[in-house]
Amino acid sequence: MMDGTGMSLQARGLTRVYRRGSEEIHALDGVSLSIRQGEFVSFMGPSGSGKTTLVNLLGCLDNPSSGELDLAGRSIFGGGKILGEKALTRIRREVFGYIFQNFYLIPTLTVRENVALPLAFYKKTGVEGEVERLLGMLGMAHRMNHLPGQISGGEMQRVAIARALVNRPEILLADEPTGNLDTKRSEEIGEVLCDLNKNAGLTIVMVTHNPSLARLGGRLIEMRDGQAYEN
Amino acid sequence: MISRFQIAYKNLLRKKSRTLLTLVGIMLSSWVLVSLLGFNRGYEQALNRDIDNMGYQLMVMAKGCPYEAATMMLQGGTGLRYIEQSMVDLIVSKPEVDKVTPILMQAFFDPDKGDGGGIAGYFGVEAASFPAMKPFFRFRQGAWFTDEQAAEAVMGFEAAELEQREVGDMILVPEKNVKLKVVGVLERTGGQDDGTIFVPLKTLQKISETDKITTIGIKVNKDADSVKLEATLYQLPDVQVVSFTQVKQTIMKLIATARVMVLSIAIIALLIAMVGVVNTILMSVLERMQEIGILKTMGAMPGDIFILVWTETLILCSSGGIMGIGLALVFARLSDILVRRVLPYSPGGELVAIDMKLAFLTLAIIVVVGLLSGIYPAWKAGRVRPLESIRSE
Amino acid sequence: MKGKDLILLLLAAVVAFMVMAAPTFAAVGCDLNDPDRDVARFFPESSGYKTTYVSIDKRGGEVMLRRVEKRLGDRFHGIYETIDVPYTLYEIHSGPRTIGYIHGVNQKGQFGGIQVFVALDPGGRIKSFYIQKMTSQWAKKLRDPKFGRQFAGLSLKDLDAYNPATGKGGGKVAEIRNPAPEAEEDFRASLRALKKNLILMDEFVFSSERGKP
Repeated sequence: MMDGTGMSLQARGLTRVYRRGSEEIHALDGVSLSIRQGEFVSFMGPSGSGKTTLVNLLGCLDNPSSGELDLAGRSIFGGGKILGEKALTRIRREVFGYIFQNFYLIPTLTVRENVALPLAFYKKTGVEGEVERLLGMLGMAHRMNHLPGQISGGEMQRVAIARALVNRPEILLADEPTGNLDTKRSEEIGEVLCDLNKNAGLTIVMVTHNPSLARLGGRLIEMRDGQAYEN
Repeated sequence: MISRFQIAYKNLLRKKSRTLLTLVGIMLSSWVLVSLLGFNRGYEQALNRDIDNMGYQLMVMAKGCPYEAATMMLQGGTGLRYIEQSMVDLIVSKPEVDKVTPILMQAFFDPDKGDGGGIAGYFGVEAASFPAMKPFFRFRQGAWFTDEQAAEAVMGFEAAELEQREVGDMILVPEKNVKLKVVGVLERTGGQDDGTIFVPLKTLQKISETDKITTIGIKVNKDADSVKLEATLYQLPDVQVVSFTQVKQTIMKLIATARVMVLSIAIIALLIAMVGVVNTILMSVLERMQEIGILKTMGAMPGDIFILVWTETLILCSSGGIMGIGLALVFARLSDILVRRVLPYSPGGELVAIDMKLAFLTLAIIVVVGLLSGIYPAWKAGRVRPLESIRSE
Repeated sequence: MKGKDLILLLLAAVVAFMVMAAPTFAAVGCDLNDPDRDVARFFPESSGYKTTYVSIDKRGGEVMLRRVEKRLGDRFHGIYETIDVPYTLYEIHSGPRTIGYIHGVNQKGQFGGIQVFVALDPGGRIKSFYIQKMTSQWAKKLRDPKFGRQFAGLSLKDLDAYNPATGKGGGKVAEIRNPAPEAEEDFRASLRALKKNLILMDEFVFSSERGKP
């Protein structure tokens, strides 16, 4: 699954300031860290701590107000550069896959069609057959022709994971992946992610409220008031 | 694999009632649009057909001659002016002319027709050329005379009825006391031919002791410039030209205003339907903001999202358009009846003429207008930023 | 010239088209050309008249037709002498009283239609015999008032013995001379028309009168 070596993230002094009316909110306050290829990093912290903001910046979903970000040694953010939607999209689709708390499967498409959806917009070479392979790997082969309304929450998240991986991303960004699941399903998803990390070497950056899930990865970073703290 | 078209089409299935209602709106407005366009075309075609059925489009007659047999009879049949039969050859040589037929109109006074007497109107016509000028004539009994010099007559419906004549009976030409045999009785045409007695031209000329004629009926070639022909004919000495195409043009001018109004209604109907389309698509975009954001995380460019939403508009408009046009074709007869009830004068035949070309044209109009209306929602969808939409839960 | 004539022609065309859409009549009847003049002529003492239209099919149908044919001694012929022909009946008044009737029928003649009218008194006797129209070289003779006067005072029973099909028979009618021997066919046709006229008057008017108390 992983192409190339050294797909790492380097963040230096990332800040993010929001304006809400007349108020200025410093969601992120000069965070610096680096994530190496193949790592499984979990971010934990209370609401408003900036964990989601940081992960969004790392995942190139947003521009920082200041600071730098390098991806595989290449500068993405920095020097006052602001990237437009198109540029960000191009980066994202090469490198990242995303899963979210709310799954966001399209209700009128089957499981198979949902997983194949990214390929309608962008297809890397050599990804033929990935849909079936991933569904098989994630234990969803028998549900290929079902609609999202006919499968459980845990199954929906598996489908979302398969969708996120169909274009062979380097890094998987997971924002509260088990937020809508019960304990048992959360554990199952945790296992899936661990498996992907250990056996397939997938770099995982995860935001979670779930301590047991956070401990599954090798690294835990705590966020408080826009600052990152690592043990 | 899944294509963008399939994604768009399945998106429309998410809110079936809403999609259906929007489709019905487009369908109804396309029905109206294509029917009204068909009417615009059909009316002119039907009018042309009616004029065509009059047999000839132009008449050349001696200057000062009344051009209606009825008027002639009212005037007492006196003062008839003649033209030379050689004029026929002159006119036939003109390139715009398809067919000609020479006619001699004569009236004879019958003192025993009522107390003051009355006029009997006769048309001397050529058996070879006149019937072709009146292809819509139907016979109640018998047929046309074939011998150009026969002592025979074909009677119009009412002329025969008044004289209680059937095929085989004899009639008497008053004043001259010439006997003619009835060989044909026509069906009612509703025109002045019903009161006319048709006799071979040479026979009537012999009876009237003249070799001249009063009228030349002219059928113009289909694509010829009839105005040019009229101008040429006016140059001929001592004749007047009467044109039925002028009549048609006058009628067309009269209804031109109606047509403009009718077309405006169709356009308004279309715009209303398009507002419905924009509303539907826009609502569905606003409902799917998060999902659109997710599509962007999957690698969809703003252009991809634009095309996706635009495709939904395309599907709605073309499906609704095709259904509406289909309905219009099926109910063309009904539309015909409705239109006839509303208009003060309607020519015969199909009034609402919808053919494939018109159907495609209407569909193209609907699709183009739909796509133009769909630009705004599609653009709005394309501009969605993934983060804002995901965060907006 | 063009403008005015064009409008005339346009109107003619429009009228022609409209007439094409108009309903058609089943058969042709026989009206007086100028009823005001003719009523005054035949009934100088009249104050007014009423016009009604009757036909065999509306009054008695097939049964009546057979009866009329039997009384006439001849069948109804051709495409114009049919059961649905409308007959125009003029009822003549002087004040509140009915003083007579005028009635006409169409008859096929040798060269054209013959329109035969009779003016009758309330008892059904002929006051006047009038041929409104006839197409013949000799029409003048048959339309001469001298000829018509011979019928005054006659009634239907005077024609009972006369057979129009053969032209033979007895009675007062047989005494009437044909002033135009060259037009024997039209002379006989006029007599047939007369008999038919009187029979129809009897059927439409006088028989129902007889039935009244």
